[in-house]
Formats: sequence, structure tokens, C-alpha cells
Amino acid sequence: MVIESREDIVRVFDVFRAGIDERNDRRERIIKLSREITIQSKRVIFLIHRTVTDDNQSTISPDETPYQKAAKTAHGKLLHIKKSFILPLKAELISEADYWENQRSVTPGIQEFIEAVSYYHYFETDRLITHHEMEGWLTDESGNPILPLPYSEFLLGLSDLTGELMRFAITAIARGGGRAKSESVSEFVRRCNSDFERFTPFVRDLWKKQQVTRQSVLKIEQANYTVRLRSAEFQSDPQDIDRLVQRTMLQQEPPYHRRDLDTEGDDYMNT
Amino acid sequence: MDPNELEKITTALEQESTLREKLRDASSDLEKGTRVMMAALMAIHSTPKTEMPALLETIVPVRETCKAPMAVIAELVPPNQYWRWKDIYGRHVQNFVFVVALCEYLSSHKLSSLQDISDALDLKSEWHDRVHVQVEDYLHGVVSVVNELSRLAVNSVTMGDFEEPFKIHTFVSDVFTGFSMLNLKNDTLRKRFDGLKYDLKKIEEVVYDLSVRKLGPSKSAVLP
Repeated sequence: MVIESREDIVRVFDVFRAGIDERNDRRERIIKLSREITIQSKRVIFLIHRTVTDDNQSTISPDETPYQKAAKTAHGKLLHIKKSFILPLKAELISEADYWENQRSVTPGIQEFIEAVSYYHYFETDRLITHHEMEGWLTDESGNPILPLPYSEFLLGLSDLTGELMRFAITAIARGGGRAKSESVSEFVRRCNSDFERFTPFVRDLWKKQQVTRQSVLKIEQANYTVRLRSAEFQSDPQDIDRLVQRTMLQQEPPYHRRDLDTEGDDYMNT
Repeated sequence: MDPNELEKITTALEQESTLREKLRDASSDLEKGTRVMMAALMAIHSTPKTEMPALLETIVPVRETCKAPMAVIAELVPPNQYWRWKDIYGRHVQNFVFVVALCEYLSSHKLSSLQDISDALDLKSEWHDRVHVQVEDYLHGVVSVVNELSRLAVNSVTMGDFEEPFKIHTFVSDVFTGFSMLNLKNDTLRKRFDGLKYDLKKIEEVVYDLSVRKLGPSKSAVLP
């Protein structure tokens, strides 16, 4: 039925306006939650990072490794994020259709949350979180999903985890006593990096994250090389090697900044 | 990553990618139809009023060919995933809106409704969660019609039709009133709406040129 008159147009556009306003308002609320999830998740990642790279070992009780301690504190914080910011998403994303309509708005927060949870999960269990386990974090008390977790989303979040772990490995290798952990972490990341490689054709922008991970892998390989070479050459005691490695890491340009604080999230923060 | 997990994810992603390919094929069929019609409609700027119905007739069979790809899309898209896949073909739906609404204007001087467009594509209401014509896509198509009509206002004068610009003026002012009611966010639709005032201005200039020379229809029709 064609629109006959100006009055008809006004009537029809009035309906459009109501629909558009409602969707825009909802999107704003979702973006707000997503942003909060991002901020809080970053804090958890920092917290884990600080705890596991804490030089002052005296603050840690003898029967608990720094990794266990980090996992324990992080767990509570992650549950808090879930309760306060992810659960409220349920009210905005009532059906799966709502999720897909607003995916671009939720995705930055959810990816950051996946990164934080998987980082925690790694120190808790020494392995990669599975898709199913991650879904558990996005489920309400009665076992219903708060929102779907597409594989692409899951992989992009994990891809940030590898970057985070490399940052940890690089800090740990330059620190006395952290070398064994650093080695197992970098081995873990290498495996992830190669596992993820096959997904890059299917997941948009995954290749970019893969490249970032690769840079870190190269860096840690260089450090391992130095350790091996110097210890073969001088047979020196571990402390000397620690100092040598520290110096090598410092010489490598540029100083290692947290990439995601500088750039990540800008694209939606500005909108 | 656990081998089972790796396998599971790979299989799922491959399926998604196959689906995307199929949707792209359907989208490209839709595009072929809309392009042909848009090319044919370019002739309106040099087609005298008397020959317009014949020109519009040629559009009808092509328009029919657009129904099939939409049915394919409705078949392919999983339930509730309209928004996930619409970017693949949304642009062509906008062009389809343009074609249908322009033809409607040229034959009746009226605006096609959103429902008219869905009907022209033979979209079933039960497909809504998989495929539908979204308001923004409809509005994009309508903006394109206005862009085209501002050009037609000029060219119809050249062809000696002095009445058409007045009708275009009424139609475009009405549409403009409608758009002014919307609170658009800062996106392409908003930018295109901002451009509408230049189209309206151009049409007003044509109407003015005709009015001062007393070339238009009776005065009562001139003033809105």
C-alpha cells in the first residue's frame, strides 16, 4: 500500500522514529556495559600480571605460588565482572537476534573478558580454556546463556591472551627464578600461535593479532638464545645470566609498551 | 589446543565460510537484477512523459528475478541471524528499494511503503528473523530516489515538461518532512539525509525559474 499523502508520510516516519530511537538507546546502554567490561577486565589482567611478576617474593606465603595467588584473586574479580556487567546484558539482548544486531557494540568488552578469563584460567590450570568452559562464564545462574559465543569471537579473545602471556614470559625470563615458567609459557604460546594459524582465513583480523604474537615469540626466542649462548660460553652462575638477559632485553627496542592500552578499543570509544 | 577442540572449531568455521560463499552468490544474483534495472532507469532523463509507461514496463520482468535470490537467502540464513549476514546483500536491497520507489513515483507520484518493497521481493513475514527489508535500507533507497528526482526536475524542463518539477517538489518536500522527524545517529544515512536539502534546493530553483516565467501549472498548485 503506497503512502498517499504528507499526513501518511508523517505517520509512517513517526513509527520509524520510535523504532530507530529505541534501537539507538539500547545500543548506547550496551556500549556502556561493554566499555565497563573492558575496563574491569583490563584491571584483572594487570592484577594477574603484577602478582605473577612480583619481585618481592616475601609477600607470598610459602605454600602458595604467585601463580596460584594470582588465580585466586583474579577469580573473585572475574565473577564480579560477570555479575555486575555481563549479566545485565541479558536484559538488552533478549533473543539471539538482538545479539547479532548489537554484536559490534558488545564485542570489545566480551573479547577483553575472554582474554582476562583465559589468562586467569591458564595460571589456574596450566592449559588453554576450551570454548565450552568459556561459555560457562557467559551463562546465568540457571544455566541459560547470557549471550552466544561465536568461535570467531572466542578465538579473537584467545589471540589477545597469547600476547598477554608473552608479555609475562618476557618479564619473567629477565627475572631470577622465572626462567622455567617463562620457557613453558613461551612453548605454550608457540603452540597456540601455530594452532590459530589455520583459523586466520575464517576470522576477520585474526591475522593481525597473529602477527603481534609472532613478534613476541621472536623476542623471547632471542632471549633464550642469549641465555643459552652465554651460559655455554662462561659457565657462569645463574645470577650473572639474569643480569645479562636483563641487559639484552633492555637493549631491544622499543621499550615494551602495553599495546592494548594504547590502541585497543579506540575504534568504539570514539563512536 | 586440544585436537578435538581444534577439529570442532575448524569444522564450524568451514561451515560458516561455505554459508558465506553461498550467500555471496545469491547476493550477486540480486545485484545483477538491480544493476540492470538501474541502468534502464537512467533513461528517464531523456524519456518523454508519453513513453514513460513503456519504459517502466521493461523493468517489471527484471524486478521479478530479484525474488528468487531473496528466497535463497531466507533458506540459507540460520534462524535469528538476519543481522549477522545482512551486510553481504544489504546494499543491493537498498538499490532495489530505489528502483521500486522510483518506478512508483514515476507512475503514481506516490511513495512506496516498506511493505510495498517487501511485497515486491515476495518476502514472507515468517522469514523476518532471517531476512527482511530493514528500515535503514528502505530509507537509503528513498534518499537515492530524491537524488534522482532533483536531476529529473532539471531534465523534464529540458524535455518541455513544465509540470513535473512541481510534482517532484511536492513529493520531495513531503519526504523531507518525514526525514526531518528522525533522530539519526552519525552514520552514512545521516550524511545522506544532510545532503537532501541540496536536492530540495535545486528543485526549488527549477520551480522558481518556471514560476517567474509563469510556465508552471496554475498558481494554487505552486504554493504548498
